[in-house]
Amino acid sequence: MSEKIAALIAAVEEDMTLEEVRKALGDGADPLSLVEALREGMAVVGDKYEAREYFLPDLILSAEIFKESIALIEPHLQSGNTTTKGAVVIGTVHGDIHDIGKNIVATMLKCNGYDVHDLGVDVPPQVFVEKASSTQAGLVAMSGLLTLAFDAMKDTVDALAEAGLRDKAKVIIGGGPVNEKVLEYCGADAFGKDPAEAVRLANRYLA
Amino acid sequence: MRITKLLHPKDTMTSEERMQAAINLQVPDRVPVSPLIYYFAAYYAGMVNADLRDPANYSRAIDKCFNELGPWDALYPLNFYHAEIGTFIFPMKMLEPGLGLPPDAIRQFLEEEIMVPEDYEWITRACERTPSVSYIRLFLRWIPRIWSHIGEGWRSYVYMLPRIADNLWRWRSEYHDWHDRGVTQLYGFGLEAAFDSFSMARGILNFSRDLRKYPETIARAAEEMTDSYAFILKNLDRFFGVGRVVIALHRTSNDFISPDTFEKVALPSLKSLVERLKAEGVNSVLHCDGNWDLNLAALRELPAGCCVAQFDGASDIFKAKEIIGDRMCIYGDVPADLLALGSPSEVDEYCHRLIEEMGKGGGFILGSGCELAPNARPENVKTMMESVVKYGYYS
Repeated sequence: MSEKIAALIAAVEEDMTLEEVRKALGDGADPLSLVEALREGMAVVGDKYEAREYFLPDLILSAEIFKESIALIEPHLQSGNTTTKGAVVIGTVHGDIHDIGKNIVATMLKCNGYDVHDLGVDVPPQVFVEKASSTQAGLVAMSGLLTLAFDAMKDTVDALAEAGLRDKAKVIIGGGPVNEKVLEYCGADAFGKDPAEAVRLANRYLA
Repeated sequence: MRITKLLHPKDTMTSEERMQAAINLQVPDRVPVSPLIYYFAAYYAGMVNADLRDPANYSRAIDKCFNELGPWDALYPLNFYHAEIGTFIFPMKMLEPGLGLPPDAIRQFLEEEIMVPEDYEWITRACERTPSVSYIRLFLRWIPRIWSHIGEGWRSYVYMLPRIADNLWRWRSEYHDWHDRGVTQLYGFGLEAAFDSFSMARGILNFSRDLRKYPETIARAAEEMTDSYAFILKNLDRFFGVGRVVIALHRTSNDFISPDTFEKVALPSLKSLVERLKAEGVNSVLHCDGNWDLNLAALRELPAGCCVAQFDGASDIFKAKEIIGDRMCIYGDVPADLLALGSPSEVDEYCHRLIEEMGKGGGFILGSGCELAPNARPENVKTMMESVVKYGYYS
């Protein structure tokens, strides 16, 4: 049953995946094994996206299927019986409300076992700082699609440093115009061009 | 349009002759330059972005850019004096500076459902009954869903039509002023392509589902809109007397869709529209946002010598020259990050390379990658403008 769920989400079959998850839960399947199956399927989606076999619609839809499936499974999970690879704080920086890429990265990180704290969009530097501090996050991920976001990213990195968190948390950035030049400008640790790269960076820094 | 003034002492062509030669894949006297300037003008002129909706402020700001950082060959107009007009290019809920955003912010969009699934069928019926104006009917159907202060049905017509007319007349007056200064404009009128409009108006998640469930419906609805798109673009372009229109393609790149989806779902209606416009003597400027590398080969299906492919720095523009350079003019692509964070020498180096490699044999227009970054360094902008004089003459 788990193999079938993994295959269905890997094929981005929304209705069939959800139906199979409901059926498995009804049959008393181990909810953790279902979560693991969904993660396996999402890993296939990520691989196909990197291989340019899948594109954004596949990524967005599979991420939605994952969220919908987890919502079905969650009531069956006992609190404390899941393990995480570490806490990640993510958000779109102040002045920017783009969220497509940020949402996908957040979901992909969740799929990969991270405890993701999504702050949403237009997030002021201090909010990143407070959440990174309270969650003891080892990774702060910032997104931005506007060139005006470069300054907000820099301000956030500076705010994390002022709060004494820079040696505790790595900072990664992403978004359409982000590249080496922007990385150098804002003082983050690395940038990712796509969600798969973000997951690789998280694995490098936290796993 | 009648332009007689030359922009630089060494010029032997007017800006319009230069632009048209480049679009016809001929060799002009020099490479033309046309930056897309809007919010940068406010920053440079010391205004806030919301000020630009006042025509007098916009005029002051853009004049300052032209006088101090220009000249440029072709104006790239993007000035909506009524915020709601922007809906015709971006059919999404939008937050404007001073209207939902701080006055110094830039326009941003919300991924919400404006177009409902039933609208695909509505389009079919509208295109059967009123083929020429189905586009207007569709957008006036959507506008109350985007702007809550605008009523539905006839109220949206009463609200919008005078504002559209006001904006059109102002643009025409401005264009005449620019012609007197020796500057042409890139296009007479522009619209978002049907496929891209559906993508924006459905929202990315819904549209992702639509592409999986009924791609043929999307392709058919986009194709059905062609009559109306061609009718509106052709007639409004004639009103401005340019002979060029922009077809905005914000959601067609491989950042959004696969090359297979492009070829099967998005390209057919785009091709129909470009062919219809060509038959009317109107050239198409394709505003290609995002990475188009995997779509380039398919672009060869578009008719030759009547299109401009504008890239924003995300595509490999040099590869584009190899693949489609013999079919269409290429336009771009000084990247936003380079203009905002780079040095003048880096900008000069990149512009030089563009002019040497992309400009070889003609068929190239230098421009910023999409809109000039609001926080671009003015010295970088000036370097870009000057590069066509420094390196761009063909003889």
